[in-house]
Amino acid sequence: MIEHVNEWLGAYLDGELRGLRLRQVESHLAECSVCHSELESLRNLSALLRESAPAGSFTPSERFAANLTLRLPPQPELPPSRKVLNAGWWLIPAGILGAWVFTQIVTGMASLVVIVSQAGLLGNLGTWLQARSQPTDWFTTTLYLFSGQMSTNSLTILDALNQAGLFIQDSITQITWQVVLVGLYWVWLASWWLRRRQPAANQETLPIRRVT
Amino acid sequence: MAALGAESETRLITNAQQGDRNAFGELIRRHHAGVVNVVYRMCGDVQLAEDAAQDAFIQAWLHLRSFRPGSSLRNWLFRIAVNAALDVLRGKETTAEALETLTLADAAADPEAALSQKEQAMLIQRAILSLTETSRAVLVLREYNDLTYQEIAAALDIPVGTVMSRLNHARGCLREILKPEFRHRENEND
Repeated sequence: MIEHVNEWLGAYLDGELRGLRLRQVESHLAECSVCHSELESLRNLSALLRESAPAGSFTPSERFAANLTLRLPPQPELPPSRKVLNAGWWLIPAGILGAWVFTQIVTGMASLVVIVSQAGLLGNLGTWLQARSQPTDWFTTTLYLFSGQMSTNSLTILDALNQAGLFIQDSITQITWQVVLVGLYWVWLASWWLRRRQPAANQETLPIRRVT
Repeated sequence: MAALGAESETRLITNAQQGDRNAFGELIRRHHAGVVNVVYRMCGDVQLAEDAAQDAFIQAWLHLRSFRPGSSLRNWLFRIAVNAALDVLRGKETTAEALETLTLADAAADPEAALSQKEQAMLIQRAILSLTETSRAVLVLREYNDLTYQEIAAALDIPVGTVMSRLNHARGCLREILKPEFRHRENEND
């Protein structure tokens, strides 16, 4: 018994079928006169619909646009919370990128200080550093070199970051920081892609207001 | 306006979102024909379609800041246009009464042909108006605006499978209603 493909003929006519389904419909149409006739009927319907011109004339686009532009009401202001949210949305990737660059610089400088220290190029400072625990090398060196030029607030922030273990040279900690940042970036990227992919679904159904 | 016309749509949207009426005017000019096509086929009446098109563009202007750059403005406008047309239809008596008043631009040139054309246009528009709103919207976006199933799905916020089933349903109904017209065409072809 032949299984007809009626339910797919409309999609076939509209060029919406792909792959296996398309081949299945095409091969069926080559053999089945019933479905072929059905397809012709759909084609005729489409032609009939399209050839029926609008029964009347509309205002030309230029004039319609010019008239309507003059009558447009003022656009409503976005609520401040929405503005903050919009700005914050785009600040997220910038913040993640900034944090990543910062950790790269910190870990790079920390490695450099250790190498220079071990090579004995820091003079007395090298001896001083050896008495300290390795993880705080970068921090203590920064303090030694720049403390005179830094404000109290800057020193406090640096100290807090040091206490948080950010300057630790442990490779596992470095990798963990990077994985966390990359993970955050991917989460943001995925949500951005989802927002783009379903624009209509998330945009409100607009109410109609009559113009007077 | 010539320089404005050369601007990309994205730029025009951004400017219009910041309150630039000229930029929005250019967007209206670009999308007017498509929107009018949707609302006319949804309403079946020129005057109602003009009203609905106007409503649609004003709603678009008022909500433009919620439009996300990167998505299709045309599909977004069509979605608004469908809603506007349905709203206008609900507010007015139309269908048969409105269709009786249809006039054709070239009626004076060839009255007999124009009458036949008018009758056919009325018949088709009546058939379209007899469809349910949901089926009509899908049919109009496909047949008169050439949207793909994916675009229709996005514009009406329904799954692609639903687009296909509603389109099949609409075409099935129209074929039944327009059977005499098909026979007439077949006879003409013979």
